[in-house]
Amino acid sequence: MRLPPFEYQAPSTLDEALKIKRGQGAAAQILAGGTDLIVNFKHRLFSPATVISLNNIAELKRIEVTHDALVLGAGASLAEVASHPAVNEHFPILVKAIDSIGALGIQRFRGTIGGNLLLQPRCIFYNQSHYWRMSKGLCHRTGGKDCLALEGSDSCHSICSGDTVPTLLALSAQLALAGGGGKRVAPLAEFFTGRGESPWNIMPEEILTEIRIPLPWAPISWSYQRLALRPAVDFPLVNAAAAAIVEKGKLEHFRLVIAALGPAPMVLREVEARLKGAAPTREALDLAQDAAVRVAEGVVVANASASKEYRIQMAGALARRATGEALGLA
Amino acid sequence: MRNLFRRSDMQKHLLTMRVNGEQVELAVRPNATLLDVLREDLELTGVKEGCSEGACGACAVLMNNEPIRSCLTLALEANGAEILTIEGLATGGRLHPLQEAFVEQGAVQCGFCTPGMILSSKALLDRNPQPNDEDIKTALAGSFCRCTGYAKILEAVRAARDGDVGNEGS
Repeated sequence: MRLPPFEYQAPSTLDEALKIKRGQGAAAQILAGGTDLIVNFKHRLFSPATVISLNNIAELKRIEVTHDALVLGAGASLAEVASHPAVNEHFPILVKAIDSIGALGIQRFRGTIGGNLLLQPRCIFYNQSHYWRMSKGLCHRTGGKDCLALEGSDSCHSICSGDTVPTLLALSAQLALAGGGGKRVAPLAEFFTGRGESPWNIMPEEILTEIRIPLPWAPISWSYQRLALRPAVDFPLVNAAAAAIVEKGKLEHFRLVIAALGPAPMVLREVEARLKGAAPTREALDLAQDAAVRVAEGVVVANASASKEYRIQMAGALARRATGEALGLA
Repeated sequence: MRNLFRRSDMQKHLLTMRVNGEQVELAVRPNATLLDVLREDLELTGVKEGCSEGACGACAVLMNNEPIRSCLTLALEANGAEILTIEGLATGGRLHPLQEAFVEQGAVQCGFCTPGMILSSKALLDRNPQPNDEDIKTALAGSFCRCTGYAKILEAVRAARDGDVGNEGS
């Protein structure tokens, strides 16, 4: 399959890349690993005037530990992140999430951590060839005014499918973005809009530069759960991540996230609030499952390769498993 | 389809890389994939185009010793890189042990997936000389074979791992 025509620039500094982005805005598209974006180009989902490659920007590939955080350059490859000693020491859950991405020969060495986070949300009516899509009407994301998965919907319900997303959210990650007025840092939890046609709170002139994960003040117990038709290559049908800190028998910190349901990952704050401060008991499992099913019911539509009802029920099952494993109740 | 008409306007860029040990320098369109350049400009047709979306593994090559999908990599992204295709694997007229193992174990039928399978296996054995079956399956996940059923391919990689090659006819 051929790619649409575009100009190509591969600046060697972030400043140069930002300058091009400032000049061209959304007409210039950032290329990190390209393992998903190139497919989207081939399907004519995007036809940018310019592609800005981040490949030559060394400062975006740094991984370092500061006094209070693990800082991942957005352009660090998945292989570099997963093999980094500090990542393995502090956040083995992230290694597990990265191991579950696609296939080693596809994403592992070319794909980047920033790219997985900014994976374009997916939908069975959207991630198709141009030819296939010509047989259907346009949708919110392809220039139309409807949703092919949920008729009459006023926004797009594509699925946030990055495997690292729920994990990084469970670890309370923050993002650093460079753009117009310098650098800003934002919690990952506030980054997703919930609308598939414009899924992130990011300006056209901005570039994601870093993912910062705060170092925990006590050992974290965790779980990453993922359901897909095949363990390799396929995107998740549902995934879930939980992170907990238990001290002296009391749950001091807990975060449970379910994702791959709709355009935004869902943090189950209600479960967190109910469980914190007490000793974890098996009631937590039912609580997590019920909350996940309720949240999923409000988000999931029939736009994946498994049915809506199945994904809703499995959101509950995965939330239950994640909670059980993270709290040592399984 | 206005895009079709913009094609000739695209400015070509100079691409320098090492392919199978040889320095190459050529002018390429920004929207050419590494697959396009290897097959069409360098005539290395051992690199196959299957699904063209990354999911089949037929186009796998090694870039700086790592397995990548040449169909998902812009040619210009390979600037300065070392590329190995199946054509570069035999040395001095002798097949690489993995190639021998694939032949001896009957791991080649139609042959379309073979270059990707062998290169992905080579990257695995270079990283981990003693892979177990799980490691081999992980390394080859996403490489599709529609003939053999994979058993023979696994056997071939095991044979290459164990140095059990060169026994044909014995």
